[in-house]
Amino acid sequence: MRAKSDNPQPQATGDYSTSSLSSATTTSIDPIYHILRILPFSFLRPPRLRLKLPSLSLPSPNLVFAFVLLTYFMVVSGIVYDIIVEPPGIGSTQDPYTGAVRPVVFMSGRVNGQYIIEGLSSGFMFLLGGIGIILLDLALDRNRPRTVKSSYAAAGISSVVLSYVMSMLFVRIKIPAYLR
Amino acid sequence: MAASSKPGSPRPPPSSSSSMAQDLFNNFSFSKTLKLKTKQQELLIRVTVLTLIYILAFITRLFSVLRYESMIHEFDPYFNYRTTLYLTKNGFAEFWNWFDSESWYPLGRIIGGTLYPGLMLTAAALYWVLRFLRFAVHIREVCVLTAPFFASNTTLVAYFFGKEIWDSGAGIVAAALIAICPGYISRSVAGSYDNEGVAIFALLLTFYLFVKAVNTGSLAWALASAFGYFYMVSAWGGYVFIINLVPLYVLVLLVTGRYSLRLYVAYNCMYVVGMLLAMQIRFVGFQHVQSGEHMAAMGVFFLLQVFFFLDWVRHLLSDAKLFEAFLRITVTGAVSVGAIALGVGTASGYISPWTGRFYSLLDPTYAKDHIPIIASVSEHQPTAWSSFMFDFHILLILFPAGLYFCFKRLSDATIFIVMYGLTSMYFAGVMVRLILVATPAVCLISAIAVSATVKNLTRLVRSQSQAVQSGSSKGASTAKSSSKGVIDNSQPFQRNGAILLLLGAFYLLTRYAIHCTWVTSEAYSSPSIVLAARGAHGNRVIFDDYREAYFWLRQNTPPDAKVMSWWDYGYQITAMGNRTVIVDNNTWNNTHIATVGRAMSSYEDEAYEIMRSLDVDYVLVVFGGVTGYSSDDINKFLWMVRIGGGVFPVIKEPDYLVNGEYRVDKGAAPKMLNCLMYKLSYYRFGELTTEYGKPPGFDRARGVEIGNKDIKLEYLEEAFTTQNWIVRIYKVKPPKNRW
Repeated sequence: MRAKSDNPQPQATGDYSTSSLSSATTTSIDPIYHILRILPFSFLRPPRLRLKLPSLSLPSPNLVFAFVLLTYFMVVSGIVYDIIVEPPGIGSTQDPYTGAVRPVVFMSGRVNGQYIIEGLSSGFMFLLGGIGIILLDLALDRNRPRTVKSSYAAAGISSVVLSYVMSMLFVRIKIPAYLR
Repeated sequence: MAASSKPGSPRPPPSSSSSMAQDLFNNFSFSKTLKLKTKQQELLIRVTVLTLIYILAFITRLFSVLRYESMIHEFDPYFNYRTTLYLTKNGFAEFWNWFDSESWYPLGRIIGGTLYPGLMLTAAALYWVLRFLRFAVHIREVCVLTAPFFASNTTLVAYFFGKEIWDSGAGIVAAALIAICPGYISRSVAGSYDNEGVAIFALLLTFYLFVKAVNTGSLAWALASAFGYFYMVSAWGGYVFIINLVPLYVLVLLVTGRYSLRLYVAYNCMYVVGMLLAMQIRFVGFQHVQSGEHMAAMGVFFLLQVFFFLDWVRHLLSDAKLFEAFLRITVTGAVSVGAIALGVGTASGYISPWTGRFYSLLDPTYAKDHIPIIASVSEHQPTAWSSFMFDFHILLILFPAGLYFCFKRLSDATIFIVMYGLTSMYFAGVMVRLILVATPAVCLISAIAVSATVKNLTRLVRSQSQAVQSGSSKGASTAKSSSKGVIDNSQPFQRNGAILLLLGAFYLLTRYAIHCTWVTSEAYSSPSIVLAARGAHGNRVIFDDYREAYFWLRQNTPPDAKVMSWWDYGYQITAMGNRTVIVDNNTWNNTHIATVGRAMSSYEDEAYEIMRSLDVDYVLVVFGGVTGYSSDDINKFLWMVRIGGGVFPVIKEPDYLVNGEYRVDKGAAPKMLNCLMYKLSYYRFGELTTEYGKPPGFDRARGVEIGNKDIKLEYLEEAFTTQNWIVRIYKVKPPKNRW
């Protein structure tokens, strides 16, 4: 039995255009179809539209992976903490002698507290390290020219080293008693 | 890895440094004298490494047992300990039907129906087994060491899971990473006798068995995963994560076109049998068919039936166009029927909406505005980057790389681990406590990154040395390495670079181990009930005030005395002081807690009315002004006001604040200076000098001199103050019998 959405007249959906035209010759046992054929559509003529349903296709793995990395960056930077607790972008302290207001980047005193910029920069460092390892793996792929491979390797190694050193530095600034 | 690369018997002539090292190894190695084949060598190494990891996971959690003594930590474990004690003394039937009148006076608590019994039954089972083997252990020792034991078992499950997802190398790295990861240690240290210690083992086991069932399509593995799910439901309320992640995973597989009969068998069996088993737990009851949080699983279950049905119809029909038409009708029909059913169920109230605890995970701002009790728990705060760093260290860097490798080799199993990792990381970002749930996923994905990178690098190293001796060795070790033998053998630079990178990876992993051990020792091994601080000369000073106070209660009050305190201390008072409490950590009755909050924030005479109505005999407060202890009741006081004010509008938070600021010194609000909590905390404190050079009555926790030093109590009298003034107990005087 044909679906009710199939009219023999031109098409509600482009996908069905060919199938409905080819099946127009078969008789239908659908009573509603017959009623519709007589009642409005014997004197009304539906216009010929070229409608096409947008075809949904799955995104490519690379696109999904890029999106995943972006979400990872946001979560690890503590964006939920930023939204709920609403800390300032950067802290400030007043110099006791000159009275000038100096910025404080790292919220000190507790492990579970941050300013927004501090969170974003640390999250960026983690992501950079991850990308460095990815570049190292790409550098070992055989199907690339030698110069590209060596530049990937150099970029990868420097990213990982930089990311690790900076992350350790951030932690030491934030928690003075770290590893002591 | 070096041992498995060369074949055992024919030795290649020593022509390069790596094979000389190989000969050296062979000369000293045990395996050469035993003439083990390569496969057996590899098995020996693997078993040895796993045994060492098992032992390591256990001993790294023993810091507090070695420093203090074998005791139960924190608050919640005391309730678990008390119920386990009751179970071992009175048997399962009594335990399952237990109504406890010693907490939540005068309401009582149906313990059998409001707890997750998995942990208690596990500890009791271990205790009975040890007793059967004639080891006369005390149940407390079994309780203290249950969590490290299950952490060791988790490392084994992680090994098998890693083997399933990637290969055995990744499995071993995953076991090693999870053995010392601070995110897991924080809740499974010895003494932390809490549901999570057992639940993470059950979680990983269920996931492993399910992925194995999807990979093999075997009914036996699917049934095993259903029983694993049952164990998880009996152990922890976080089972909701499993019952939502698994359907989401099935949905993703359907969308990406990976539907197969294996998936059908695995999910059906796990869902149906798992749901029926889960209903055996009274606390869960019929939630699997009635609660909104479980509806996703049911929806996917029906969707899977529709998929199977369509697959069967397509197999029967030979006409493609007819099938397309049929497909459209069926899918539309099924989706609309499902939507209507869901709508009718929700509207009629049969399907209850998402509870506040879990809804606040989807919408993190919800708890802050609507449910102050959930927002007040410190573990429920959102996570800052430094908490992530503390709990994961270099795993945060390895995680994106591991995701990349998973995306490179997409299969049913890697899709699962990617989804588990992403969803659990999001929830870990919302709540600090849930870093625990993310830890296995992060360890597994990082292990994939480590294993794949190390494999790449060693391939480089080995291919160089293979290429140099390509003419002399008889038979390549594997086809893979011989085909890659001809990379750039003209560049020793590349091989040295690879060795250098291997050393770098080794250095990073060493730093990870150092970090984990330091964090475990300094941050996560504190019993919380015993406080430690550094004295003036650097020596360690121990404050055992809590246990002193509870022991005093046990010895010096009548057995039917009722104690009123803030809900944090309820479990400890009932377990150690053996007295009835008004409210405890279960926090199931918000109005009762609000009544206590109202009593604490009112003036003494109003509070006395409330206390008489609740039959209170003793009041217990925690005060940190002498020691500088910052988690005391004065710092928690605003939460008492908010929770009390949420139910009784007479309590208004601005009454206790001055210009929005919370103060206890001279400039504090008058209602603050005269409320019951203030009086009980600072009674006689005005006469005490706490710090050299500061006036008497200087509060070391707030850093100010208190405003109201001359406190007189009319309806209460001081009964006991501990040595460092941390816990103070007051007796409620009976009403005067003369007008």
